[in-house]
Amino acid sequence: MSPVITVDTRMEDSGDGRWRVTGVRCPSCGAAAPYAWPRCPSCGGEAEPAVFGPEGTVWSSTVVRIPVADRTPPYALAYVDLDDGPRILAHLPADWPNDRVPPIGSRVRLTDLSAEGDLQVEVLQ
Amino acid sequence: MTAVAVHGVGTSHFGRQPERDLVSLAFEAVREAFDDAGVSAIDAVWVGTVFGPAGMAQRVLRAMGITRVPVVTVENACASGTTAFLEAHEAVRTGRYGRVLALGLEQMSVAFSGAITPEPTDPEGRGGLALPALYAMSASRYLHLGLVTKEQLAAVSVKNHAHALHNPRAQYSGSYTTDDVLGSRMIADPLTLLQCCPTSDGAAAAVLGPATGAPRQVAVRGLAMRSGAPWNSGSPHVWGYDIVRDTAADAFAAAGLDAVTDVDVVEVHDAFTIGEIVTTEALGLVPPGAGGKAAAEGTTALGGAVPVNPSGGLLSRGHPLGATGLAQVAEIVWQLRGEAGGRQVDGARLGVVETMGGGVSALDGNACVVAVLEAP
Repeated sequence: MSPVITVDTRMEDSGDGRWRVTGVRCPSCGAAAPYAWPRCPSCGGEAEPAVFGPEGTVWSSTVVRIPVADRTPPYALAYVDLDDGPRILAHLPADWPNDRVPPIGSRVRLTDLSAEGDLQVEVLQ
Repeated sequence: MTAVAVHGVGTSHFGRQPERDLVSLAFEAVREAFDDAGVSAIDAVWVGTVFGPAGMAQRVLRAMGITRVPVVTVENACASGTTAFLEAHEAVRTGRYGRVLALGLEQMSVAFSGAITPEPTDPEGRGGLALPALYAMSASRYLHLGLVTKEQLAAVSVKNHAHALHNPRAQYSGSYTTDDVLGSRMIADPLTLLQCCPTSDGAAAAVLGPATGAPRQVAVRGLAMRSGAPWNSGSPHVWGYDIVRDTAADAFAAAGLDAVTDVDVVEVHDAFTIGEIVTTEALGLVPPGAGGKAAAEGTTALGGAVPVNPSGGLLSRGHPLGATGLAQVAEIVWQLRGEAGGRQVDGARLGVVETMGGGVSALDGNACVVAVLEAP
């Protein structure tokens, strides 16, 4: 077993069917992070709990075509800048072609976690 | 404070060498560095390594009779070797020790069959974003913004593999065309296999001591290290750009350099083709957005205005993580002494080493080290 350095980004269903990422925002500098950290990673100020999403924009993307840990390739990944929130890593839902790169600049929305427990975004048309 | 020089360098062969042990790899590097420096003993050792077990440095050093002296192991991902170099330099500069060995070593082939398994407590590691995919995100972004073309990405690989033809220590010894690079197996779109550094085993070493003006000493003119700032939508740049730019600014200021254009030869962290492009821009060697063009047009090739990675770089020399930074230092030392053979940059007086280690989620890198070295 390795030590658990920090708990993973968590999601919550706000009761309205919309999924959001929990984390912190810094009241001093405004930086957002998708983690339950005690201090702002940018300025060291006291961080306050915050929720982000569900919508954002694909900053970049790729399709991984090699095995990584227990993952079966290929699978698409996107870095998503949540609106007024942090940059998160997200998978694409099961109905997204697994060898198709999500277009950069696409508007996306968080969905529920994947079967593997990953953050997921669906591409909005 | 004491002015510091590199008295000697050495390296092992680089490549998949699962049949060898770390003692053999390290001894090959240390023996050469000691012979080069004309020494048989040192006062302290800094060791850079990433994947070894606790106590690995002492286990390796005892086999070559380096015992009793202080030994410190440092880990800064891919920048572990240059971190050891930086700390060894500081120990000499402040007068803490007289003569110090910096040693980097790694045996990757017995630990990984392909990409390094990322840390599972980060979302990237848990979600299957290995380092090739992290760099692929940068390459995708650059392509999207029109800052590079696929052919320019490939040009970095073609160039560095061509450089390695003149480096008998390099892992790769073949010639590759743009079509070969782009036609090789896709690893993480748009990066193909020949745009990714190989799995490597190796060691590299440097002996540092006070600058005495001896004819083969290479002066350490300036050094800097930073860890990464938070990386998010607040930065207009791809991952790793800001930390390299800022660390380089620190190092160039420490070296008293007016302009990076004074630099004659550079070894940078080209773990993936996009890495060299981003880094040449972040260092200021080429204007922003011009890194791909510089590689394709030969500006950063041997014979060009600013030769980058004459050793073949990580892409071709190989990338045994902890050893890489000191392998870069060794290459620049040979270049500045005019001992680099068929890959010699004519009249090189000023050289730069840049190493960048990454993988920590939400940060712009774990560590970056930039060093400025000057010919005797």
